[in-house]
Amino acid sequence: MILIVLLCVATLCFGPVNIPFSSVMQALFSPGADVSSNILWNLRIPRMIAAVLAGASLSVSGLALQTVFRNPLAGPFVLGISSGASLGVALALLAGIGFGSVGVLGSAALGALLVTLVVMFAASRFAQTGVLLIVGLLTGYFIESIVSILIAGSSSESLRVYVAWGMGSFGRVTLGDVWIFAVSVVVGLVLIGISLRYLNAALLGDDFAHGLGLNVRRSKICVLLGASLLAGTTTAFCGPVAFIGIAVPHLAYLLFKTTNHRVLLPGAALCGTSLALLAGLFPASVPLNAVLSLVGVPVIMWVLVRGSGARN
Amino acid sequence: MSELNMQTALLECKNLLVGYGHALETMKFPFDFALLPGTVVALMGENGCGKSSLLKTFAGLLNPVSGDVSLEGKPLVQWAPRERAQAISLVRMSSVVPPRMSVREFVRLGRSPYSGIFDSRTEEDNRIVEESMGLLDVAVFAERPIAELSDGERSRVFLAEAVAQQVKVLLLDEPNAFLDIPRSHALFRLLKKIAVDRGMGVIVSTHSVEYAERYCDRIMVVNGGSVRVAPAGEARKGGLLEWTEAF
Repeated sequence: MILIVLLCVATLCFGPVNIPFSSVMQALFSPGADVSSNILWNLRIPRMIAAVLAGASLSVSGLALQTVFRNPLAGPFVLGISSGASLGVALALLAGIGFGSVGVLGSAALGALLVTLVVMFAASRFAQTGVLLIVGLLTGYFIESIVSILIAGSSSESLRVYVAWGMGSFGRVTLGDVWIFAVSVVVGLVLIGISLRYLNAALLGDDFAHGLGLNVRRSKICVLLGASLLAGTTTAFCGPVAFIGIAVPHLAYLLFKTTNHRVLLPGAALCGTSLALLAGLFPASVPLNAVLSLVGVPVIMWVLVRGSGARN
Repeated sequence: MSELNMQTALLECKNLLVGYGHALETMKFPFDFALLPGTVVALMGENGCGKSSLLKTFAGLLNPVSGDVSLEGKPLVQWAPRERAQAISLVRMSSVVPPRMSVREFVRLGRSPYSGIFDSRTEEDNRIVEESMGLLDVAVFAERPIAELSDGERSRVFLAEAVAQQVKVLLLDEPNAFLDIPRSHALFRLLKKIAVDRGMGVIVSTHSVEYAERYCDRIMVVNGGSVRVAPAGEARKGGLLEWTEAF
């Protein structure tokens, strides 16, 4: 918690333009028309909120998917949900099927939802979670090929925008539409939160959960919708951020040493937020995905090695 | 006699026909059965005869092909899932276990039917969890991951979870499949003890005639598409066990 507050403050304090701490505080609590206030409110605060929201939502989404599919490799990317969002964005940006800037977000959400429906249909048809992951991966490939065809036929200007989006960044969210982001994330978190009992039991399989008196079907739909909403919105606003969703749940397991989602869900959200804020501190010229993997992989490797060392 | 049974039966079925296998083959002859408090019933039969499906049907996880099952006098279909989970539990030994879950965490899941939306546990829940782990002798390795336990230890953990659920009817699918001989004896003694102490009804499927005759009150046999039940001491005389030496 303290770490997150520190990282938030750091996000506000450091940036390409050097603003002294006192000016940051002044701009924060009594915003004026000066340059510091402008930078703080239009650039750094939205970026901080975006990082917090993206970190929390991707890690919670990843954790929920890993639990429901009982597969440590599941995540918004593996299931093709993020690719769905990419397709939406590609269609809007490259093929021109869209309605201005809101159209990009809308089509991203639509794409994510579409893939989720495909995955959910597969989930209802096949009991094996392995098949589901394959369906997700195949859907991802299918979408990538559509996107690459769109890329081949697009103008250089829209292509530039799409490629920039594809690198991922917390810096594109504006104070104006950060609310849409926040509301979707809250709805997604609530959908997953109300399924807590199911998530804890789902680790043992749906039959077991059913035996504990849970409405497996309804809870599963809640969790999948929540997870895709979280992943879809985040991808729409920040671009495809691959690393957090798959890695942070493992980090949370190792740090909190429990499988109880009462602890794990907030734990994963905290870890994800810290990691996202940390990665966001790097200069904007470095692609976010590169930073996340550069920072995240050593951290997780270290925790993995240490965790297994402690047990032996 | 039957009047009394009807009033006190924990689990009762009438004209029950159960489907089993992938193509949902059905048993040929419907049957009636009543499980009384304080009794242990052994469920026997060859592999693939429908024992597991019968247990699933009793637990409400599989719909009967025809006939009715009632739990504590109320038709099973009318039970809300959560209340049903407080009254009946089916313990299967074959469940896949998640790699990181500890024994205590698993046994705590048994309190899930009693918990609120955020799945919290009360002092009372924790006391019941510890008591169940003590009863099954698993408290000593409460912090170890279930995945690292031996099959026998794991069977006891599964049972502890069901005991923590504080059900009236306990259904067990081959609980002694992985247990050594002393542990199997201990398990069946324990089943009889908790059945009597807590007024529970237990149905336990097993391949062991010895344990069935020695520790159970009645023996239920699924054979040739029909289900027959006899007091444990009379099953052999009544020809219920002839199939065991068919080959």
